[in-house]
Amino acid sequence: MNYLKLFPLTFLFPLLAEAQNATVSGSIRDSQNGETLIGATVQAVGLGKGNASNEYGFYSLTVPTGSDSIELKFSYIGYQTFNTKILPKGDVKLDIQLLPVGAMLQEVVVKANALDEKRKSTEMSVSTISTKEVKALPALFGETDIIKILQLKPGITPGSEGTTGLFVRGGNNDQNLIVLDEAVVYNANHLFGFFSTFNSDAVKDLKVYKGGFPAQYGGRLSSVIDVRMKEGNNKKLSGTGGIGLISSRLTLEGPIQKDKSSFIISGRRTYADIITEAINRGNADDPEFNKIPRYFFYDLNTKVNFTLSPKDRLFLSGYFGRDVFTFKDPTFDFRFDWGNATGTARWNHVFGPTLFANTTFTYSDYRYKIQNELQGFSFSLGSNVMDANTKVDFYWQPNNTHTVRFGANTTYHDFVTARLQAGSDDGKVRFEAGREYDGWEYGAYAADEWAIDRLKLSYGLRLSMWQNDPAFYANVEPRLAANFEASKRLSVKASYARMNQYVHLLASSGLSLPTDIWYPTTTGVKPQVSDQVAAGFSYLFGDQILVTWEAWYKWMQNTVDFKDGAELFGNNDLENELTIGRAYAYSPLELEIEKKEGRLTGWIGYTLAWVKRGDFPDIDNGAWFAPRHDTRHNLSVVALWDVTRWRKRGKEKSLQLTATFVYTSGYPAWLPSGRASFTDFPGAQPQFVVPIYGPRNTFRYPAYTRSDLGIVYKWKNRKGMENDLTLSVYNATDRRNPYFITIAVETETTAVGEVPFEIRARQVSLFPILPSLTWNFKF
Amino acid sequence: MKRYHIQHLALALSIALLSACNLSKDVEIDLPDYERQPVVECYLEPGKPFRLLLTRSYAFFDTLGLSSNFLQNALFDGAFVTISYNGQTDTLKNQLTLVPNPIKVFNYVGENLVPTAPGTSFSLFIRLPDGGEIRGNTTMLSVVPIDSIIVEPNAAGDTLARMLTYITDDQSKENFYRRLLNYSSLDSFPDQDFLVTDRFSQTASIAIGTGYELKQGDTVFNTIFHVTKDYYDFKESVDLAVIGNLNPFAQPSPIKSNVSGSANPVGIFTVLVYDRDTTIVEW
Repeated sequence: MNYLKLFPLTFLFPLLAEAQNATVSGSIRDSQNGETLIGATVQAVGLGKGNASNEYGFYSLTVPTGSDSIELKFSYIGYQTFNTKILPKGDVKLDIQLLPVGAMLQEVVVKANALDEKRKSTEMSVSTISTKEVKALPALFGETDIIKILQLKPGITPGSEGTTGLFVRGGNNDQNLIVLDEAVVYNANHLFGFFSTFNSDAVKDLKVYKGGFPAQYGGRLSSVIDVRMKEGNNKKLSGTGGIGLISSRLTLEGPIQKDKSSFIISGRRTYADIITEAINRGNADDPEFNKIPRYFFYDLNTKVNFTLSPKDRLFLSGYFGRDVFTFKDPTFDFRFDWGNATGTARWNHVFGPTLFANTTFTYSDYRYKIQNELQGFSFSLGSNVMDANTKVDFYWQPNNTHTVRFGANTTYHDFVTARLQAGSDDGKVRFEAGREYDGWEYGAYAADEWAIDRLKLSYGLRLSMWQNDPAFYANVEPRLAANFEASKRLSVKASYARMNQYVHLLASSGLSLPTDIWYPTTTGVKPQVSDQVAAGFSYLFGDQILVTWEAWYKWMQNTVDFKDGAELFGNNDLENELTIGRAYAYSPLELEIEKKEGRLTGWIGYTLAWVKRGDFPDIDNGAWFAPRHDTRHNLSVVALWDVTRWRKRGKEKSLQLTATFVYTSGYPAWLPSGRASFTDFPGAQPQFVVPIYGPRNTFRYPAYTRSDLGIVYKWKNRKGMENDLTLSVYNATDRRNPYFITIAVETETTAVGEVPFEIRARQVSLFPILPSLTWNFKF
Repeated sequence: MKRYHIQHLALALSIALLSACNLSKDVEIDLPDYERQPVVECYLEPGKPFRLLLTRSYAFFDTLGLSSNFLQNALFDGAFVTISYNGQTDTLKNQLTLVPNPIKVFNYVGENLVPTAPGTSFSLFIRLPDGGEIRGNTTMLSVVPIDSIIVEPNAAGDTLARMLTYITDDQSKENFYRRLLNYSSLDSFPDQDFLVTDRFSQTASIAIGTGYELKQGDTVFNTIFHVTKDYYDFKESVDLAVIGNLNPFAQPSPIKSNVSGSANPVGIFTVLVYDRDTTIVEW
């Protein structure tokens, strides 16, 4: 097959040249759809100089001027490497388009040297996940989910089975900065956390920082999860979609003006409610039939981008998603809906071969609302958080030894906490509660990556501020990272980062619920602060296997928790329900072994870690306890095997087997230590088993083990339409993992009522073996 | 207002999911050692004798205190119990007493009747046989009467109706209520049992309703208890403790008692103040 066609679009024009050096700069894109490629590398062959494209696909490389031509080599994950020669008499603008390698038959392919580039980078504690990996791996109900794949990376635990919770290096679920095209997503969950809001068809890739945070990021303690939407095919109209057990998806993308502008629109919707509504209609005449409530969720992603000039690009993108739960009959009209809306307007401007700027305006909104209408009465309860953010980021590469980033941002936050309105239609009975807050968050940063022979230093400073009259906080956040290339295979790395968090999630349980409330920093609730140090090494075996070991220690201050028995709903003074403490977490061993090339690819992740929270004056008198996500051993194995490929009657076909294995030590749980009996008020039923809770989380559940298997059968018809049937088997060994432990009480009738004679503990599991079949297509 | 709507909703969804498969099994749980505590339950009722129930708690899976000997095993006898009020102190005798309709059990009973004047303060003192002490205080609130009860069908000709119960709240201070609704008898499992606070009420009138579930001729016992904040917190923490043990979405809570002392007790000492209406449903 001819995979070697190259489509270099070369725009050469001289710019101001330094005396001895010239700069080659431009963008690197996919030749088939025009998508910019993030992290693609450019190397000056024989000169030992190289660089990578930034998150906007822009690259810059300084080379010596002279009469000799210089060979440049461009490469990227899953793309054919492209070599070209330039004669650098002055600055050169060179836009490159790379051709994907045999896209259909080898989905999980990675550029040569990808792992070596990762080894050489000053970045540590970083993972990148492509949607190609996500789509190939087995998934719960066949719903591929990029967040759940993230949970298979070392240092990240889900907190609970089947959910999209992310507890990164001992941090809480709310300490992750999740951004979609730079707009914050406050609640990245559907269906109480069982699915994430990210539709894999609309996502280009995801990068997570667990530590060593670059200075351009701030606002959360434990991780940055940067999700980038596709830009849309600017070559031709194309589409992808799928029909699965839970939902169906459809994405259309294409050029608005070929090579200049494009669009993408992607939607996903569940359809269980279509079945339940049909059942309800079929039983409408049966008075004994209990109507089934209606539930569905949907997502809509859209994006357009315009190339305004060789130096200017404009991107507009948005996301809107909702979960809706309703129940309606002649006397009762209940509706519970929640979801996110985000919008991003982004302008890329190239000032010159070494200076690039990105100006962004983002809008984010998360809200939930519960409404109930009865004849003559109504009830509504809701909360929301809204952000409007403006930021500007500069990327300046004066030469090959320095890469400078600097910028600033301003965010306006608006919070409505637990707004309750209830009463009679005639106004004679009325309840109201809830408060509104706002706040301004500011950030400014500067950072430099300095390459000194075998040592690379990344150092920066971020200044963050919060204003919520009368509260005002200003904090300095140093960021340091270093990579010493001890040999051509071994790099030793270290990093330190301080982070501040000015918004706090008030969650009534360890699980993510749509009714969790975001709350601002005030005079009483101070910014959360974390410091994290990490050190480790990366060693490259051959050119296919990278072993990364990291050890880290993180300590956190001003962490927020609820007092025992706190009231979250209908409370005008939530601050009274909060208690402030500290936390720490550490791991001597966070190991990842990655293999990214060949027919067998995947990774093995293992983490040995400890997490503690304490010093909360209102919880066990300040005692330290293990939070729910303190799981000692976490092992994950991910494998993708391209078994075979063949051609039959002109149709290309392939078969891929995938598997994941997860082992997690039992997580802590707060179980009662004693029980009491209360006869209660006259007219009330006696309660013979009232649990008495002692210190928190003194019990540990049994270990969690799960194996998932997948088979991906692909074929391409003569017209070029790609199809795949993906069989996922979740929990293939049908293991009964503990989800929670409840009690079973056997009672007998006595003179004082039903009294218990036996109390047993019962372990409840959530998912048995769950096979699912999904059909995906691409045209 | 009811505060567990969402958790119940989530639990209902989870249970619906789990009920399709056999996904639960008995397991052995090894819990930390637990030291038994005295449990005090004392609801003083104006015009009735001073009565108190003193029992013991158990380790959670302890089989002691279960079976038909439940009562005998649970009772904590041999304590010295006094209640002081209006300058006098009554000693309660250790005497098992069973009160019918609704059935209630006490093991410490006084000879005098509880005063009926709102505002009366009471102090509880208990000395256990091992010398441990328990103390508690409470004050009698005034009755908040039921203003009106309205029974109405959704539409003319319907066979089911709802009941709206109105009370007038004193908005000058924070008040707490417990609502109980029993059909047929006070020994029946209550159809409604929840706590109400006027914290967010913008009007003096508070309405509490039922669904459209009442039939012609139904007998309904409609009770509004006016309770102290101590009792509200206690009852809420008990509910949270029970829910937290059943619902993975709920955060458990230790019991918030208003009795304390060297005996490390749990329990409640309060005065029962209520208005009750018995309605034969008709419209």
